[in-house]
Amino acid sequence: MWFRKTVEACLDTELRYHFERLVRESIASGMEPGEARRRARLEFGGVEQIKEDCRDVHGRWLEDFGKDLRYTARTLRRSPGFLTVSVLSLAFGIGANTAIFTLINAVMLQSLPVKSPERLVQITRLTPDGKPLSVSYPLFQYLRENMKSVSATAAQMESNPAIVMDGAEELVNAELVSGDHYSVLGIEPAAGRLLEPADDVIAPGSPAAVISYRYWQRRFGLSPAALGKTFNLQIRNRVFTIVGVTPPQYHGARVGRDPDITLPVSMMLNDTQRREPAFNALSMLGRLVPGAGIEQANAEMQVLWQAFLQRVAAAVPEKDRPRFLQQRAAVLTGANGLDLMGFRGNYAAALLVLMGIVALVLLLACANLSSLLLARAASRQREISVRLAIGAGRGRLLRQFLTESFALAALGGCAGLLLARWFSSALVSMIVSGDDTLVLSADPDWRVLAFTGAISLAACILAGLAPGLHAVRANLNPGLKQTRTGCHRRLGRALVIAQMSISMVLVVGAALFGVTLAKLYSVDRGLTTDGVLTFRLRTSERYAPARRWASLETLLHRLSALPGVASASAADTLPISGLRWDSRVQVEGSGESEVSAFNAIAPRYFETLHTPLLSGREFGERDTNAGPKVAIVNETFARYSFGARSPLGRRVTSSNVTYEIVGVARDAKYQNLRQEVLRTMYIPLMQIEGPQPSNCNFLVRVTAGDPMRLAPVIEKLVRETDAGLWLRSMHAYSALLDRSLKTERIMATLGAFFGLLALIVACLGVFGVMAFQVSRRINEIGLRMALGASRGGIIALVLREVAVLLLAGCLIGGAAALTLTGLTRKMLFGVTPTEPGVFALAAVILGVAVFAAAWLPARRASRVDPMVALRHE
Amino acid sequence: MDAQKSDLLQGTLDMLILKIVALGPIHGYGIAQRIRQISKEVLRVQQGSLYPALHRLEKRRWLKAEWGEAETGREAKFYVVTREGRKQLEAEEANWDRLSEAVAMILRTAE
Repeated sequence: MWFRKTVEACLDTELRYHFERLVRESIASGMEPGEARRRARLEFGGVEQIKEDCRDVHGRWLEDFGKDLRYTARTLRRSPGFLTVSVLSLAFGIGANTAIFTLINAVMLQSLPVKSPERLVQITRLTPDGKPLSVSYPLFQYLRENMKSVSATAAQMESNPAIVMDGAEELVNAELVSGDHYSVLGIEPAAGRLLEPADDVIAPGSPAAVISYRYWQRRFGLSPAALGKTFNLQIRNRVFTIVGVTPPQYHGARVGRDPDITLPVSMMLNDTQRREPAFNALSMLGRLVPGAGIEQANAEMQVLWQAFLQRVAAAVPEKDRPRFLQQRAAVLTGANGLDLMGFRGNYAAALLVLMGIVALVLLLACANLSSLLLARAASRQREISVRLAIGAGRGRLLRQFLTESFALAALGGCAGLLLARWFSSALVSMIVSGDDTLVLSADPDWRVLAFTGAISLAACILAGLAPGLHAVRANLNPGLKQTRTGCHRRLGRALVIAQMSISMVLVVGAALFGVTLAKLYSVDRGLTTDGVLTFRLRTSERYAPARRWASLETLLHRLSALPGVASASAADTLPISGLRWDSRVQVEGSGESEVSAFNAIAPRYFETLHTPLLSGREFGERDTNAGPKVAIVNETFARYSFGARSPLGRRVTSSNVTYEIVGVARDAKYQNLRQEVLRTMYIPLMQIEGPQPSNCNFLVRVTAGDPMRLAPVIEKLVRETDAGLWLRSMHAYSALLDRSLKTERIMATLGAFFGLLALIVACLGVFGVMAFQVSRRINEIGLRMALGASRGGIIALVLREVAVLLLAGCLIGGAAALTLTGLTRKMLFGVTPTEPGVFALAAVILGVAVFAAAWLPARRASRVDPMVALRHE
Repeated sequence: MDAQKSDLLQGTLDMLILKIVALGPIHGYGIAQRIRQISKEVLRVQQGSLYPALHRLEKRRWLKAEWGEAETGREAKFYVVTREGRKQLEAEEANWDRLSEAVAMILRTAE
């Protein structure tokens, strides 16, 4: 500051000296002092102009910027209303964008915290639509031996085993890895050592295990005594020794997961699983050799993959072989971690659509700010004209306008960043709710900050440039004479139309997601979830099957006998939980076996879920492992396999066991609500063949009220029944169903929220422009009224203008929506992206809102007293 | 008339200023006077060109400024040529000689 003042003072003194010498010179040559001054001033020209040119010589944009900022701060402080509205709307736009970007960053962009993550690749089979699929142990071994462009490869899989440590049994999230997993990733231990290839062999003795930093913290309080500790892995009945801890920033190789314990994979697979090319359970990571690119690795992979398929095809049944050989595989980037089971895919589409929505919201905020700035510029038009007239450069003035929007964008950006933190953690909790194994971080990193900075800057330029250019381009003369030009009106109206168009798109989007959610809730499920409580029950892995059945049966009996319980049952797979059990089923007399949905259920299953039986009977107490094998099929199965004939008494074979059909149940949704009803076959829980599942889902229907009321009683009952039973994730079934529609609910909620926000902003815009117009046309309106126009006629006059804007907004917005909503096609249900009804509804909503906003100015216009109006000005 | 003169000055003003200042510390008014006197009133420098040029040369570190007492007893800003300024002046003078010789040559030959 002092420096600037000195420079200014120096410049002033220097020029004043010159001026005075000129005056003296003239006086010396005999001129009148007054005349001498006049002559000197004439010769000197514009002193300020010279000063400006001198200031220009010194690079002074920084000083100018400081000056402009101070000026902006002064003017903004004087209009707190404008400041609040514009900063809030920007903060909302920027905050929403930052929040969604934070999630996109966490789900899709963040690299694994390992050595040069960009060299990591994911080696996978592919689903027909190109999503990654797990690989088998033989394929892993084959690729490890033969791939040249990838130097090291590692496999890993997830498991959820029970361990016994210090005498207590507990469930842990485990990551099973091949021996070179950590060397491929290139990470260093936080304590002890990590697993090495030597650990991943089948040998006697106590194998090594590695724990995560968070488990170390939670279970051992970061104590070094954790190293060397042993635990028994129930399922293999082996004792493992903890040898090290992974670094704190490492959350496993998978997106959204955080394993507690890492074990060598070969310990965990049995011989069949190691040999079977159809047992696909592993994810495979590799590191590209120096000089090799991902395309090269992929090309090599295609050759090796075909060779591998040919090699194992011999073992595949003849009729399945063509389909088997059509399978695809690829090398994908692994820099962001492994993505199997499509976690990233699940949310990527939703997040990208949300990103589009919030981008529109930001655009809307910019249009809003732009029209506010335009109105301010209009009220400053005289000042600007004066400044232009005394020689201010247009570029200089434009810079001042941009400084104002820069200050607003900076404030909006900071407020947006705060808002985003709150907003993204709310969103994260919406996403992870009900999934206790899902880990997602909402912490902004440098990418998020850079993104926020960039969009704030973009918003500043977008919002500030048009009004700024418009203002400084103004014609000097009319500006000075204080008559207004129509150009400002045109830009203002264009901005209102833009706001309405964007609102239209957002309202259409909100309506589509709302309809989708409503249709999903109203679709015929074939079962009633209200009044049903469900929990998962895990039995100790130490129990033999007979002991297990006995415990489950006792529990079922006790549950049914509880006061307030109407019926209780259990199922291997809970319907509409996202999971499905498929099995090959051969219907008696049809020869071919076909894949059908499959489930194993306890007695009174259909009664508990209120699914009517169309014929035959439910499973009962007598359908035990010892009794004759029986099955129930659903309508679709019956119609497909037996047509109009009765399926009762017919035989079906699955996994070499023949069942007699004893009942037909009404169709019910299985995996999720979107899916069509599948051909489904049910067998008694107790008649499951082969290895017994250690988990099953209990269903308890209460007589009345909230089923969760019984939760404490049931917990106690389970504890008392058997100490070897673990009750996990107890929920009201309807809440679970709500959770299965999480993405849809997020889309509908956020869609509605942003749609409403857009409507409010558009209404404010319409209100502002119309109020301005009315105040400008007050003379004209007075004249019209004096000449006999009715109040209704005046209201119609104002509203007609709004109608034109609205029509333009609806048409432009509708056209934009038609092209944009196609992107959401996959997320919709029961409604097409171009559904005319939805567009009409959106137009009506927008219309009602806009007319409501225009009503106040219109009414004000109609209340104008002609006498007052005509004397106005 | 005036416009023509300043056109001529456009590229060479910096050189003329350097040359004048090289004769000894001098203020802006003095420079304007000297140029007028030495050129026998042919060249007249407008203040609007002079001061931005002075500030430009100062910024390029060919001139440096000192505050001192002027003949009238008032405080004035005196300009002094720096070492780089002298070098620049030599270079420009040499360049100017070559240029004017070349122009003169063409004019003579074309006669």
